Amino acid sequence: MADNVDVVEGCRLPVLRKNQEHEDEWPLAEILSVKEVSSRKLYYVHYIDFNKRLDEWVTLDRLDLKKLQFPKKEAKTPTKNGLPGSRPSSPERERKSLDLNVQTTTTTTATAPSRGKTLPAPKRKAEPPAPLAPQVSPAPPVPSLPSSAEASQAAVYPAARESTTFKSREDHEQLTSLTTNGTAARRLIPPQPGRKRKANCGGTDEVWKSTLSNVGVVLNQDSQDSSDGIPTAPRMTGSLVSDRSHDDIVTRMKNIECIELGRHRLKPWYFSPYPQELTSLPILYLCEFCLKYVKSLKCLQRHLTKCNLRHPPGNEIYRKGTISFFEIDGRKNKTYSQNLCLIAKCFLDHKTLYYDTDPFLFYVMTEYDSKGFHIVGYFSKEKESTEDYNVACILTLPPYQRRGYGKLLIEFSYELSKVEGKTGTPEKPLSDLGLLSYRSYWSQTILEILMDLKPDNGERPQITINEISEITSVKKEDVISTLQYLNLINYYKGQYILTLSEEIVDGHEKAMQKRHLRIDPKCLHFTPKDWSKRGKW
Amino acid sequence: MSKLSFRARALDASKPLPVFRCEDLPDLHEYASINRAVPQMPTGMEKEEESEHHLQRAISAQQVWGEKRDNMVIPVPEAECNIPHYESLYPGEFKMPKQLIHIQPFSLDTEKPDYDLDSEDALFVKEKEITELQFEEMIDRLEKGSGQQLVSLQEAKLLLKEDDELIKEVFEYWSHKRKNSGALIPAVKQEKRDSSSTSDPYVAFRRRTEKMQTRKNRKNDEVSYEKMLKLRRDLSRAVTILEMIKRREKSKRELLHLTLEIVEKRNAMPDLGAEVMAEALAQRALVKPVYTIPLLPLSNSQYRHPDLNELKDYKKPEKTEPVRTKRKYEKKPKIPVSAAHHSGPAFFSPKDLNQYDFPSSDDEYSQIVSGSSEAEEETDPDGNFAFRRKSGCHYYASRPEQSGNWPWMSPTEGGLGDPRFRFCLTSLNAPRRCVGLARRRVGRGGRILLDRAHSDLDPGLDLASVSPLDSPLHRRSTSDNHTSDLSSPLPPPSSKTPVDLSQILLNIKSCRWRHFRPRTVSQYAPGSGGLCRGGFRDLSRTVSGLTRTLSAQTRTGPGQLPVNVFTVEQYQHHQEQVALMQRQQLEQSQLQQQQTTATTAPQPTKTQVCVFKGLHLSSAPSAPQPFLQPNSSSPSQPPSTPHPTAAAAALGLLGNAAPSTTQVLIGNNLCLSVPTSRHLPRALATVPASALKLSSNANLPSLPNLPNLPSLENHEEEKASLNSLSDNTVAMEVT
Repeated sequence: MADNVDVVEGCRLPVLRKNQEHEDEWPLAEILSVKEVSSRKLYYVHYIDFNKRLDEWVTLDRLDLKKLQFPKKEAKTPTKNGLPGSRPSSPERERKSLDLNVQTTTTTTATAPSRGKTLPAPKRKAEPPAPLAPQVSPAPPVPSLPSSAEASQAAVYPAARESTTFKSREDHEQLTSLTTNGTAARRLIPPQPGRKRKANCGGTDEVWKSTLSNVGVVLNQDSQDSSDGIPTAPRMTGSLVSDRSHDDIVTRMKNIECIELGRHRLKPWYFSPYPQELTSLPILYLCEFCLKYVKSLKCLQRHLTKCNLRHPPGNEIYRKGTISFFEIDGRKNKTYSQNLCLIAKCFLDHKTLYYDTDPFLFYVMTEYDSKGFHIVGYFSKEKESTEDYNVACILTLPPYQRRGYGKLLIEFSYELSKVEGKTGTPEKPLSDLGLLSYRSYWSQTILEILMDLKPDNGERPQITINEISEITSVKKEDVISTLQYLNLINYYKGQYILTLSEEIVDGHEKAMQKRHLRIDPKCLHFTPKDWSKRGKW
Repeated sequence: MSKLSFRARALDASKPLPVFRCEDLPDLHEYASINRAVPQMPTGMEKEEESEHHLQRAISAQQVWGEKRDNMVIPVPEAECNIPHYESLYPGEFKMPKQLIHIQPFSLDTEKPDYDLDSEDALFVKEKEITELQFEEMIDRLEKGSGQQLVSLQEAKLLLKEDDELIKEVFEYWSHKRKNSGALIPAVKQEKRDSSSTSDPYVAFRRRTEKMQTRKNRKNDEVSYEKMLKLRRDLSRAVTILEMIKRREKSKRELLHLTLEIVEKRNAMPDLGAEVMAEALAQRALVKPVYTIPLLPLSNSQYRHPDLNELKDYKKPEKTEPVRTKRKYEKKPKIPVSAAHHSGPAFFSPKDLNQYDFPSSDDEYSQIVSGSSEAEEETDPDGNFAFRRKSGCHYYASRPEQSGNWPWMSPTEGGLGDPRFRFCLTSLNAPRRCVGLARRRVGRGGRILLDRAHSDLDPGLDLASVSPLDSPLHRRSTSDNHTSDLSSPLPPPSSKTPVDLSQILLNIKSCRWRHFRPRTVSQYAPGSGGLCRGGFRDLSRTVSGLTRTLSAQTRTGPGQLPVNVFTVEQYQHHQEQVALMQRQQLEQSQLQQQQTTATTAPQPTKTQVCVFKGLHLSSAPSAPQPFLQPNSSSPSQPPSTPHPTAAAAALGLLGNAAPSTTQVLIGNNLCLSVPTSRHLPRALATVPASALKLSSNANLPSLPNLPNLPSLENHEEEKASLNSLSDNTVAMEVT
């Protein structure tokens, strides 16, 4: 048909997909990219209100062209507001409006029709045409249409701030007027991408475009902690709060078709910065034990003749039955840590690989069989955390999901915190699966305690939130949110009480019956190190 | 109370919450309206994702059913299991170790090549009949040898150790393959230096330019770094100082031992007349180097007026001298008899001297002189006395035939018996005149006696009494109350000498000639100290034929009587100093006792001390006693001894040098700094003794530079530190 020519990036239309019951459904989707493979056009679609992991390449016949909506510049921003669930595009838009410092509704997202670019392959994208910008930054394929190239470089999106994590989009919109945090004339280093690696906290190191002030852009005053400044790079911890690179069209698309790891073939969910030349392969082969990536089965065979590892290259600090945990120092074992991060990134949307792995410890959970210790999942943890994080990123590899391993990982992370004598919390943002897993773990852990409470001297059993927190090492806020979520907190006759409903009790008992995998603290051989005294991670 | 209209209190995490079963609270629902007082906690998810369809579905399913239904889970892309070739890929079995696996550091670093051969390579390898591993190693080297620029064939030949033919083939194969497919070992993109890669999504694992912030508001980095630097500097300085103290104390100990030894040896010799000592001194004087460091023993230092504080410090060098003397003395049996008097170790360069900022004792000097290190000193049997040639020093050939023919020897030994070794120029205050060569000793009741010696100088010396040298003193003494009386009758000189007066004055002024004047010494004492150092040598060259002098008792003459000008103020000051010195003396009394028994005049010396003490303790300010130099007189000069100087010097050393080498140190410096220190006493005269000492010490750092020893400046800093240290040492000894 002739009209398929019109299906370009940014278009929205219903796209056919099978749901879990294998029924056809036609959710609204956005075309993120178009490519042609053997004279057949393929469309990369993001199902709106569905997680990005379900994004996929579809053929033309799955598009409902009758309901095609062309991207409209003017309509864009309102649309965004109307579609709060469509996360991938919105931050981009917000940032752009910041950059421009204009109250225009200029569409700057990847959906901009003017871009008219196709992605020939998962290869690196061509430069955004950016017709309005005579000289755009060469390096990043930022899908932006800044009215001023300089402004586009400014990239002042206060993303990495904790505080913005839960900020509504409306808040972001207000950022159109920018203010430098008190320091009007900030020196900046290179005119180009205008960002610097830096901690997102610590006011001294932020880099600011002098051109920004020229353009008359003022930075938002809102930052509660003035030291925050504008992050020019992702925060240095493990999880990625939305930031500019995250909104990059490249990173919004899966780039690896398939990964073979041991017995399993995995379909990546998200972008991962494996070497670009490997992204065009139908299958990326990984050594099951050292996680080295090679381009072909032959290479993997060769590699396996040279690789002696049959377990993660770290110290085993826990073993019970077939389950073991290995501790890997991100500084001492860089290669493995990086390989682990690369594969983890395939399944973690909010993970950042921006910085090296030095400040992290990686706890890899393995299951033993006669071939060796097979990786099941892992979590990373900052050696020193400012904010009580006891987990940075956490992942159960897809083949092992929904079998209780995730909860086991979480349980293990809290066991470590117990040994350390601290309470901890996972780094935010949580993914959907992360939220469900943690909520489930918290609920079961807290309910376990509440149900075990015995009345002492005939008095009604009671417990404080702090006590729960101390027993479980779950941070107080998480305890409260769980109690709330379970609807256990009630105000009764002038005081707060905890009430256990029958459904809760039954549900808990049923769930606990299914929870076979538990961490046995006696099997943990772990001595926390005081990393602050080491000077180096 | 069916309905509550008030707001619930905030949730208190530390307040116990009673736990109820819902069935126990049938009326709970009535309170439901206010249950929402607890603020809703954030989920921790990104806002946009929170509302995602499948999540919401799962959450609501969980809330409805208490658990997730299978069809309500969040869908994910499928994973495939059970790859058929798995078994062949991972052959063999791995037995689980009994122990927890503990990885050894660096055990992971294998020498295996990172490059993995692919099927295309396999063909090539088969064709070339090399092993796969060999091929991989070669490619690995080529890959890793290439940066932006590919390895050239020449470089490849250097990189690879195979034969040229194979290298060429592999190289060509490699270059061709690389041209087609880029780097053969795929690696994650590195950041570029120019920071152009900051937003390249394929760049990962960037180096952290700053350490991740682990504590907020920690801004002290630079400041603390500087503090650490300073701390390190301070600590290392302290270490240096302690090192020096250690050396100093060692030296002091050795000094003590040597002094004891010298006394014993002299007693055994018996060198009661100090001839041997004098010879040693003269020898040193001859060999003595170009610059003025108080190396010479001022054997008659007791003649000088010591009643001011800096003088005390100043005396220190003198006290150390017996050590040197003794050292010479030890040598003596060898050297004078067998060989070179001139070849002593006395030559040393200022540079050496400055190796240590504060040579605190003779031991250090000799150490410097000999260039020996501490370690050497310990291993060398001769210790400090081992002769070591120093570069840049002149060594004279030995003159054995002349041995014994030194001017300081008595005529019986073929020497000249030059009196300059035991006498010094002496001036009196009132009448203001110079009495020529004389030496002082203390008579009964603390009286000071001057033993005068005849010399050729005598005729001219009368004129010297009004020399410019004295002018400041003169002014001072005239402004003072002259409560003085004649402390002792002095024998007049009787003979004439042709020596040019102006030359003598010149000698005095240029510190080559010692000059002594009772009473107001303080103001020119440093100068005279300098004189003392250089005096003998000059004298020995210009003066000859002096007759030997006898003790004052036999030579009473119409004399220029030294006037003891003594004011109340001075007296009090003097008292303080005396008290101070008594303390030191008490400390040393035991030692002295040992020493004095070895000398020929033990009794006098000892009683002298006692008398001296008693005198000052009992005397009232209103009734000044005729003592002149209580400080220096105490340990010295038994009147009955014919050759008291050497003994006195030794004793003086014992009395004063031993307690504090620090003071010796300072004295050394003072001697060097004649010009400035001259002006000190006046200002200091009224200050309490200890304060005086400290302040004079405090003045020291700037002084050492004065006397044309520019190299000293290099050590100014350490000097200052050491100086302040010695400050403390002194203070501690005083109190």
